[in-house]
Amino acid sequence: MDFSFTEEQDMLRSLAREFLTNECPSSSVREADEYEEGYDPRLWRRMAELGWMGLVLPEEYGGMNAGFMDLVVLMEEMGRSMVPGPFFSTVALCALPILEYGRSEQKAEFLPEIARGEEIWTMALAESSGGWRASEVCLHAELRDTHYVLQGHKLFVTDAHVADHLLVAGRAADGEEPEHGITLLLVDAGTPGMEIEPIRTIGGDRQFRVSFRGVTIPQDRVLGMAGNGWDIIDFILQRAAVLKSAEISGACQAVLDMTCAYAKERIQFDRPIGSFQAIQHKLADMMIDVDAVRYLLYQAAWGINVGSPASLQISAAKARANEAYQRICIEAVTTHGAIGYTRDHDIGLYYRRVKAAQFAAGHTDLHREVVVGELGL
Amino acid sequence: MDFGLSRRDLALKEEIREFARAELPSGWRRSTLIDGECRDFEFEMDMSGKLARRGWLVMSWPEEYGGRGASLQEQTVYEMEIGYWGIPGAWMGISGTQWVGPCLIMFGTREQREKYLPLIAAGDRDGVWCTCYSEPNAGSDFANLQTRAVKDGDDYVVNGQKVWTSAAHRARWCWLAARTDAGGAKKHHGISILIVDMRSPGVTVSPILNYYGRHHFNEVFFDNVRVPASNLVGEENKGWYLLMQALAFERRSTAPTTYGHFRSLLEALAEYAAHTQYEGQLLSRNSAVRAGLADLAIDLEVLKLFAFQMAWRISQGQIPVYESSRNKVMSDDVMRRVAITGADLLGIYSQVDPDSYWAQLNGTIQGAYLGFPGQAIAAGTAEIEKSIIARFGLGLPRSY
Repeated sequence: MDFSFTEEQDMLRSLAREFLTNECPSSSVREADEYEEGYDPRLWRRMAELGWMGLVLPEEYGGMNAGFMDLVVLMEEMGRSMVPGPFFSTVALCALPILEYGRSEQKAEFLPEIARGEEIWTMALAESSGGWRASEVCLHAELRDTHYVLQGHKLFVTDAHVADHLLVAGRAADGEEPEHGITLLLVDAGTPGMEIEPIRTIGGDRQFRVSFRGVTIPQDRVLGMAGNGWDIIDFILQRAAVLKSAEISGACQAVLDMTCAYAKERIQFDRPIGSFQAIQHKLADMMIDVDAVRYLLYQAAWGINVGSPASLQISAAKARANEAYQRICIEAVTTHGAIGYTRDHDIGLYYRRVKAAQFAAGHTDLHREVVVGELGL
Repeated sequence: MDFGLSRRDLALKEEIREFARAELPSGWRRSTLIDGECRDFEFEMDMSGKLARRGWLVMSWPEEYGGRGASLQEQTVYEMEIGYWGIPGAWMGISGTQWVGPCLIMFGTREQREKYLPLIAAGDRDGVWCTCYSEPNAGSDFANLQTRAVKDGDDYVVNGQKVWTSAAHRARWCWLAARTDAGGAKKHHGISILIVDMRSPGVTVSPILNYYGRHHFNEVFFDNVRVPASNLVGEENKGWYLLMQALAFERRSTAPTTYGHFRSLLEALAEYAAHTQYEGQLLSRNSAVRAGLADLAIDLEVLKLFAFQMAWRISQGQIPVYESSRNKVMSDDVMRRVAITGADLLGIYSQVDPDSYWAQLNGTIQGAYLGFPGQAIAAGTAEIEKSIIARFGLGLPRSY
């Protein structure tokens, strides 16, 4: 086994760290809310100039042809800096499946725009229950001659207000199994009959209900094979779960670093609180949690990187990341004491993002089910 | 990054699987945790010999000492399989293969290496060791040890009392930490490591039964025991550094075996849940059971990765500072969680004596349930390990 990164990956990490430290300090994370978009479009532009949106896309689509592990490194750094914006929606949820399942003309049409940062994408999957299970996909996608007609609602769609296109999961027919009969459609934002309505969340991100009232989408906008959309969603779920775990991993390390630094400088009873075992043992537990998330993440990412994704490894990573992020943030806030409970302190920014991270690409119970399935149950 | 097992690793796993099938009684599952070692010492020694003849017992030692210079990665795979199949006899009294041998290779004299290493490597009964560290007033505060070794001519004369000494009743040799200089500026100065023949006059071993009446640790009394000065390991009065190394070896080896043993328990529990009806449905349909088993599987995955990561760090020539403590804490957590979740799954049967006809899964869960608190204390409590992590992993002030 080898637990080391390549030189290029180390370089990517340090470049990303430096760039984000300068361009996306926590003050700008706080200010992101003041933009109509929910993020600073200038930062998005600069990230595009660095080639981040196209990092793993082939050169023919304007990408940098890097591997999945490189994207994991980048997302750890983005998680560390809580970078606001539609990167995850665009790259993890949409660019990867378009690259894998798109027909060549679809790839040529969409991927270069993504790589240049010109177009933003998001996926519309969850409905009223919010679940990532096939049984929850109810939106009607009925084929009439050469068009699909979409009827229904999607919930918790991230970044729908800025998206140029959406990847929409609809049900064309009721199959015997819930996984059958699901079709993924590449939908232009603003197609007549679509309407978005914000769902305000505690994390400061932007999520929406997207309504489809007789929205007609040409048949050639199907991604992959009609009726086989669940295979693609499974593909997305696996990669997105790992990439979200990477964001969480970076965030957890940042929270640990911050809390450890505070424990060294905060004096009570004439000594740093970090000299008390009650505090030390909490921090040691946090450190073990951070390591657990990190190595589960790297193992899962490696599987994808070498072309043999393992669902046990992927789901173990996301389930553990979900739980650890929450645990670490809560311990971090309480270790900081009252200052950690204030608007001006960064710890709260992380804690407020826990729930969105947990539910992106599958919450803990869903991933536990995958793991238990691997035990033969 | 590479998380794959090599062809060699996979072949080794397969060989050990075949070995376990051929050499262990059918349906063999050890409830080791409450017993410490195997209760049948004859069988244990028999297996040690067989492991030695397969070239596995000390695989990571250099060839000149009976090993085959296997990588730490391979050693880790081996330890995981030993734990998984419950193969007894791999440790030569716990300490022989795991830290006495490796420390002698690093710090022993040529004579010591030539005398003691072949006995361990061969799985010989005279290669069984115990380790005398703890004393009545030196537990977590290990440097407080009071057992004295006073130079007298060509010998040291040892007086004192040790406790919680695993396998002392079976061991031929003792790896002893004793105070050779009582006037040191700090408690951890003036400590030395001596090799003591357990048959020396003045050595008395008396059993301490654990709370389930099982015998695996002891008190060991030293009453004017004469130990040749040539049995000093490393430098006189500088044994503390050696002890830290020995403890690092000990804490490293916990994670792989714990992973193996508890991974097999988890699979047994999953099988049990899939075939056991409770209140009108299979246990495996119960969502709390499913979530519990999933969390155990995830914890085990973490432990596996921690074990390999540490082996990798050492193989890079780095000294794992906090990782050995991290792995010890994680091992203890896994033991506790599997034992408790497993007992919950067995329900009312969790109270059945492990040897009873009524025991499910050969009593392994009860063995784990009864045994985990003791295992968690051995080689450093969670509190001590977390203080070490805080100090060396996070740079916080010393708190103990």
